[in-house]
Amino acid sequence: MSGARLGAGVLGLLGLAWAASALSTYDVVADVHPALASRGPSLSHLLGTDHLGRDVLCRLWLGVRAFVGPGLIAGAVAGGLSALLGGLGALRPGALRAAVRALLTVVASVPRFALVLLIASIFGDEPAILAAAAGLAYLPALVEDIFARVAELEGADFVEAARAHGVPAFRVVAVHLLWVGCRHLILRHLLQLFAFVVVLEASLSFIGGFGVEEPTPSWGNMIAFELSAREGNLWAWLAPALCIQLAVVGTLLAAEGVRDGG
Amino acid sequence: MAATVAGATVLLHGLFWLAPGDPIDLLPNGPELRPVLEAEWGLDQPVGVRILRTLGAVAQGDLGYSLIVKPGADVANLAAKAWGKTLTLALPALALCVGLALLLAWRQDRPRLARLVMVSSATPGFLLAAALITLLNEGAFAGMEAGHWDRPGWFALPDQPSALRTALAIGVLGLSGGLLSEARTEAAGLLESLRGSAFIEAIAARGGSTLGPLLHNLLPPLLGLLSGRLVLVLGGALIVEKVLFIQGAGTLFWEAAMNRDHPLAIGLGIAAAALVASGQALCSLGRAALDPRLRRSGP
Repeated sequence: MSGARLGAGVLGLLGLAWAASALSTYDVVADVHPALASRGPSLSHLLGTDHLGRDVLCRLWLGVRAFVGPGLIAGAVAGGLSALLGGLGALRPGALRAAVRALLTVVASVPRFALVLLIASIFGDEPAILAAAAGLAYLPALVEDIFARVAELEGADFVEAARAHGVPAFRVVAVHLLWVGCRHLILRHLLQLFAFVVVLEASLSFIGGFGVEEPTPSWGNMIAFELSAREGNLWAWLAPALCIQLAVVGTLLAAEGVRDGG
Repeated sequence: MAATVAGATVLLHGLFWLAPGDPIDLLPNGPELRPVLEAEWGLDQPVGVRILRTLGAVAQGDLGYSLIVKPGADVANLAAKAWGKTLTLALPALALCVGLALLLAWRQDRPRLARLVMVSSATPGFLLAAALITLLNEGAFAGMEAGHWDRPGWFALPDQPSALRTALAIGVLGLSGGLLSEARTEAAGLLESLRGSAFIEAIAARGGSTLGPLLHNLLPPLLGLLSGRLVLVLGGALIVEKVLFIQGAGTLFWEAAMNRDHPLAIGLGIAAAALVASGQALCSLGRAALDPRLRRSGP
């Protein structure tokens, strides 16, 4: 199986798990069973239980809520703003593009995690705010690549031909430069942004203070919660750790596949 | 560089001023500090005046003072010490990452190796750091229980500085978060284009060693690669320091953000931008010094 197909499969699974989680009636507070604590895998609990007796597989499944929705919001923010800024830069290649570049150089000079943490500290750490902050922090890399691609394409025959046929400048930028020329590039960056959101969410929840807090499940807080108990079911922390790795690698492989596909 | 620092100052302070309501309301001890802070931050002044005042203060090295984490302490001093400590992790980590990337890129036609590097280096920093420190702790505890050794100095004492945790942090920062894979891909591209260049082919055709000329010509683009990775390694340090209990800028930034000590968090952010801009400027100068073509055309 090629890396891109594996990546697409992982993304498909994550999407399915996220959509199916809407049907869940699992009560994160009530599902505590001390008598079943730290049990190994069995038919009734396929990945065993954590040290509060909660089903690991069920929490693993619901943990996708912590990052799939925010990943989509971050993608919408970065995708929308990058199309807007990239389009403006293509329409007015002189001073406006230089101004956007200068602004994004400033944003890029602050480490992404620092910018996201600062925004969460000031505006609150709700998932939507964290996601929007992640999208903003990722924006410089995306817009810089769009500018480079647009600069390459500005003299291309099909763009010149469209202009010679009197196609309006806005349409040349929106359709010929951004959609035809940059859609693969934007999709690849959005997949990389999704991987960044997975890591960001898991890191914040693992460390605590920001992100998803216990008892709501997140793969990051599942690892932290179980590692704090010295003895227990190995799968209670190993399974979310493997899932994080698989989600990140799968998303990056899918991004690589988009690059290979043009 | 000055423009980047000024921009970062406006951006980070701007975020603070954009907060819903009054920025002083965001502080846990805001009500008691309100009379002092209102005058000091110039909240009754127009935004333009506030920006100019802040830029003037930052230009003089004044980043304000900490309100909660280290009450009254000068943020510029705190940031200099904390980022200094973090740089002792970040710079060796960068060297490790780029050096290893170059080694891995040296042999071509190894797609499986490239895939293996990509999969392993995608491991998030927090996960690798947590796994390593847990394994070490468990191993040390098992050895102590079995009577094989006495308690190691670093064991279960997160507040104590530890060479082992420092070495772990350097390794994790250099090898995780996708940095190694990206650096390997870029180094492989650089090597490929250099190996295909006429002068290297001519040296090889005459039977000479291409190692020296390759390395010499790789240095300028490698400096570019290093400068692009600095901001990513500094960002990674925020997480890795916290997981490995290292008292650098990352841990301080976490404390500031969690306790809503915004002057300290913003000061650390501005200092990070200054570090990144300085690193990029130094790398540009280094590239220009090494490559005469860049001196003529600009970096």
